[in-house]
Amino acid sequence: MSHTNNVTISKSSTPILGIVVLAAIFVAGLFVVGYDQGHTFSVVLGEQAFEDLYIHELTHDMRHAAGFPCH
Amino acid sequence: MKTVLFLAIVLVSGAISGTIHGIVNLGIVEPYLDEAIGIENQNLFESGEEEDTPQFWVEYDAYRDWQKGGQVLAGAILGTSIGALFGIVYALSRHALPGNTDVKKAFLLAGIMWFTLYLIPFLKYPANPPTVGDGETVVLRAILYLSFIAISGFGAVGFYQLSKKFKSNKKLVALIGYAVFISSVFFAMPENPDEVTAPMDLVNEFRLMSVLGVSTFWVSVGLILGLFWNKFRPHKQIPESYT
Repeated sequence: MSHTNNVTISKSSTPILGIVVLAAIFVAGLFVVGYDQGHTFSVVLGEQAFEDLYIHELTHDMRHAAGFPCH
Repeated sequence: MKTVLFLAIVLVSGAISGTIHGIVNLGIVEPYLDEAIGIENQNLFESGEEEDTPQFWVEYDAYRDWQKGGQVLAGAILGTSIGALFGIVYALSRHALPGNTDVKKAFLLAGIMWFTLYLIPFLKYPANPPTVGDGETVVLRAILYLSFIAISGFGAVGFYQLSKKFKSNKKLVALIGYAVFISSVFFAMPENPDEVTAPMDLVNEFRLMSVLGVSTFWVSVGLILGLFWNKFRPHKQIPESYT
């Protein structure tokens, strides 16, 4: 004779994966907008990226407006 | 909690709020940036580093168009980033926040984070327009600003945790503890090393607009995340059945 038990477990806590993903996005976004001086593009453009400063110039106005030290 | 739904509403609310911030800045901050950069240009002409030629202005206009266009995109990126932090803190503290709706809870948390992560650090290291700031000190200033934000944020969390050990007057203990702590840090941290050489009217008006812009972001992210959370309820329990 078979016997079946049904067990229900409720999951409502904050997911660790979600926290990790959001923390990574927070750090990356803050660096790009607030602090990049050519670092991000230097991965593909090398030293030239520190001369061109594409991301610095793109985020220049928001940097000043949001209170980050810019130059 | 539904992870994908949680991530989606946090990221979308941050991106929308950041885009709003960027658009508001285009209207209220850009005129001051243009004025400050105009002073920089005059200084370049007077020092002989640049010549006031049509070619200069063609290049300048293209350069400024790129920077102004970036205002909204950078707003969306920054908003997504800060919104991600807001989402983490909201998910972890939602059960402890007062209020009978997620809009009220999220709005309150946005106010607390605006105060501790933006306003207090701003009072110590206020925003500056172009023409203010020595390139030689930018790394030092970046470290000081980020450090003060981190100290203020972790200080607020620390005093909240500490206050839970008290049986009564918990909020008062947290508030007074944080106030004493951050006041000490405020006076202990080094000043911005750069002298402000731009007209103070311009600098002060720019700073006021900067505060209004950033405040717009915090109001938006509190409101939007709260509305999304109320509607989609990502914290709703997921039953798992095992046979």
